[in-house]
Order: sequence, then structure tokens, then C-alpha cells
Amino acid sequence: MARIIVVTSGKGGVGKTTSSAAIGIGLALKGHKVVLIDFDIGLRNLDLIMGCERRVVYDFVNVIKGEATLNQALIKDKRVSTLSILPASQTRDKDALDKESVGKVLTELGETYDYIICDSPAGIEAGAMMALYYADEAIVTTNPEVSSVRDSDRILGMLASRSRRAELNLEPIKEHLLLTRYSPKRVTEGEMLSVEDVEDILSIPLLGVIPESQAVLKASNAGEPVILDKESDAGQAYQDVVNRLLGDSVDFRFLVAEKKGIFSRMFGG
Amino acid sequence: MANSSIEFKCTSFSLSVLHLKTSVLADVRAILTKKIAQAPDLFNLVPVVVNIEEIAGEVDYLAIKELIQALNFTFVGFTGAIEKEQKLLIRKLGFSFVNSAKKSSTSTGNSEVSKAQSAVKVFPEKTALYSDKVHRGQIRSGQQVYAQGQNLVVIGSVSAGAEVIADGNIHVYGALRGRAIAGAKGHQQAQIYCQNLEAELVSINGNYWLSESMEQHWASPVYIHLNDNELTSSKLI
Ligand SMILES: Nc1ncnc2c1ncn2[C@@H]1O[C@H](COP(=O)(O)OP(=O)(O)O)[C@@H](O)[C@H]1O
Ligand SMILES: [Mg+2]
Repeated sequence: MARIIVVTSGKGGVGKTTSSAAIGIGLALKGHKVVLIDFDIGLRNLDLIMGCERRVVYDFVNVIKGEATLNQALIKDKRVSTLSILPASQTRDKDALDKESVGKVLTELGETYDYIICDSPAGIEAGAMMALYYADEAIVTTNPEVSSVRDSDRILGMLASRSRRAELNLEPIKEHLLLTRYSPKRVTEGEMLSVEDVEDILSIPLLGVIPESQAVLKASNAGEPVILDKESDAGQAYQDVVNRLLGDSVDFRFLVAEKKGIFSRMFGG
Repeated sequence: MANSSIEFKCTSFSLSVLHLKTSVLADVRAILTKKIAQAPDLFNLVPVVVNIEEIAGEVDYLAIKELIQALNFTFVGFTGAIEKEQKLLIRKLGFSFVNSAKKSSTSTGNSEVSKAQSAVKVFPEKTALYSDKVHRGQIRSGQQVYAQGQNLVVIGSVSAGAEVIADGNIHVYGALRGRAIAGAKGHQQAQIYCQNLEAELVSINGNYWLSESMEQHWASPVYIHLNDNELTSSKLI
């Protein structure tokens, strides 16, 4: 049985697409069959981050409308053979998806893939509801600030009430907290909520903490998910997340501000 | 004739119940007199139902009633789990027998009073008329839970942006960060309990506080109640 994982948040721009790409490719590198689905119809972002935007011929909406088969629309990743991407359409609107057709597509994908990762659009409207409806697990992506935490809380309410699992009274969606763009320095300065603050408010298990990192922007521009940058802090933090998703217990890193070296202290860094 | 001049409606009331454990009324009088001397305002003309289920042997109903009235309570009637014959006798004597909605529990209410005496116990049966609606798990932003005609017990926190409402009391076994409205349909004795008060709003019987009024007990375990129509918060532990 495929694990359907939605990467969701409520608030936009918190790192859902960045995380979907990193986690997707990370799982595939471990030998699992993974498909990444872009539910952000109208924006088309995931293919850019994955570096396959030039290879998009058909998209998710074409498949839903019966204008293309899944095999025609799926893009095989050039780096990892077990990874595919189902891109979003740039020309259709958000209401192009309906529950029944999405369900059919997910069932068909489930026959081939171990992991189906759904990159959700922002908001709490139809598009975001569609992305979370069939989920078995949810990675609730949150920035350490009040408005993002509030929106995540709201999405957690939706996961518990508006998902298929909730409607059918099945075992609830497994919830994971992924804290992104974490800056220990700004936490110490009182400008950001700490990991503990966010855990206390949301009270769901912590899957990972991704530091605010220059490497992310670099990776996005290059179309190379940041997890492939093994030297970077964000890349390593995403690797830890993948290992935890696979059941390993891994210590949390990048939670405290880096101590300044003697030089930067002398010359005022 | 139009029948709008009267109307029968069912309404629940909170009444104080005096539990008697002895038929020696002189003892009862002595204990109660002492009690009243400590807080005369608290007891003056308070409507009282007398529970007689724990009295062994003969009960002198008329004498009990007169004693209660002499001490300046308003006598309402008798209550308790007693034999049918006894209930009939009470009614024959012209007193009312009051059935409570739930069996009273001795652990609630004014423990200070009940601790002091073993023969007499007075405590307000504040919640006796409400059952509990229990919600397990956190109530998230955007969600609303209403315990209509009930108390609300939340096993978990109430998030900022969430709302809990009860016609009775509200108990939150977690942090209260959202809005809590107790006694929603008018209930002066309603109370709000929580393990961590960080609420956006609390309201009892229409009296409300916003966060800024909660400074005194912010982020601590408290209960909130009405005292002379004024919201008051007290530490739970
Ligand atoms: N850990 C991080 N450090 C620095 N910038 C980040 C990080 N994660 C995401 N970003 C940046 O934040 C912006 C939004 O990220 P994205 O993944 O598109 O969010 P979403 O899909 O939630 O809208 C992008 O510009 C991305 O480069
Ligand atoms: Mg996105």
C-alpha cells in the first residue's frame, strides 16, 4: 500500500514545495518508488524546483479530464530512476480538480509507487482540501512565527474533520510537524518562536527543523532540490527528515545559533 | 379566553442542599448557627433543599422546616433517596419532595464547610443539573464546540482562534488560548476551569474578559467565576 503524504500549511511561502521536492527525492534515493504531485494548479512551481519545467507536456489536469494518460503526463526524474513528477497545469484554474477523479488517479498511482507526495497549495479553500483529502499522513510545514502557526493549527483542524479518513471514521491522518526557515539567532533575540513554543501550541510530533539557509535559494534556482547539496545545513536537515520518515530516530540538529569563530569575533562579523 | 396569559416551561435551577446526618436537631441548630455567624451574607434567605437520606430512624419534617426557616433560610422542600412511603408522608404533610436530576456527589462544592462537620453538610449543587459533553483532543483554530444544555469537558487544549461554548461549565484539561463562553443561555453559577489561561476571551453569563483583563493569572491554572456579577479568577493550585 502506498503511503499518501500531503505537504500542507495553510499559509503560503513557508516552504511546502521546497520540502516536497527535498523529501521526495530523498525517499527515492533510498530506493523507494516515489511520485510527487503538484496540487498548486495555476502556479506550477514544483517542476521548477525539480528542474524539469522544460519537459512538461501534459499535466495533472489533462489526466483528470481524460486528455492524457498518467504515463504520458508523468515525468521521470533524470537523477533518480525511481522518482516521477506529476506537474500542475499553468493554464487551468483551481477548481479543475474533483474528488472522484483525483481519487482514481491516486489509486492508479498506488499500484506502482510506495510514496505519493502531494504538494498542497496555500489557503484553506478547495485546492488545499483536495490535496489533503486522501492523505494517510500530513507534513504540516510551519515557520516559527505566530501567523504561520495559527494557519497550521487551522489546517490540523481540517485534517481531523474534512479528510477522507475523518469522513469515514478511519484511523486519523498521521500528523508531522516540520519547522522550516528556523533561525536560532532570531529565536534568541526574541523575534521568532522557538521549537518548544511551536510544539506547545500545535502539540503534534516534530518531524524536523530546517534552518533558514542560503542554500535553499541556490538550489531552487539551479533546479536541484537542496537535499542533494550534502554540505549544506538545510540539505542535511532534510536528510534527517527522510530518515525519520523511514523510522530511524535521529537527533535534531541546527537548533542553536552557531558560535562565532575567533576571527569574526575579532573583526565583528 | 386566550391562553397566552400563562405558560408552563421547564427551567433548571441551582439550589443549595443541606445534608442532614442526625435527627438531633439541637445539634444541627448549633452547627448551623456557627456556620452562619462566619458568613451571614452568604446564607441569608438562601433557598435550601434538605436531604434526609442519611438520617437513621424517625424524621420530624415539621421541626426541620421550622428550624431552617428560623435560621433565615428559605425552605424549599426535601430530597434524597428514600422509601416511597416516606415520600408520600412528606407530600401528605404539605411539603414538596424535590427530585434531583443526578445523584449528588459529596466531593464537589464547599469542602471547607463539609469538612468541618460530620453531622451537617451544606454545599451548592452547582452542576447537578447538567451532564457532561466530553471532547477528546485539541480544538483547533476555526473550530467551534458547543455543549448545549451541558457542561463541556475538553481533554486537550483550545487553540487561539477556536471557540468553546457551554450552557453549563467549561473544563479545559490543557491550555485555553481561544474563546470560552460558559453559562451561554444565562447561568450565574457557571464556571470556567483550565490548566493554563491564555484566552482571547472568557465569558460567563454574558460578562466577559478580553486577554488584557487576565493579567493576574495569565499562563497559570485557574478557574473563573462570577462574584456579585463580576468576573473573578482564582488559582486552581
Ligand atoms: N529553509 C529555507 N531557507 C531559506 N529560504 C527558504 C527556506 N525554505 C523555503 N525558502 C524560500 O521560501 C520561499 C517559499 O518557498 P516554497 O517552498 O515555494 O513555499 P510554499 O510552497 O509553501 O509556498 C522560496 O523563495 C524559498 O526559496
Ligand atoms: Mg508551493
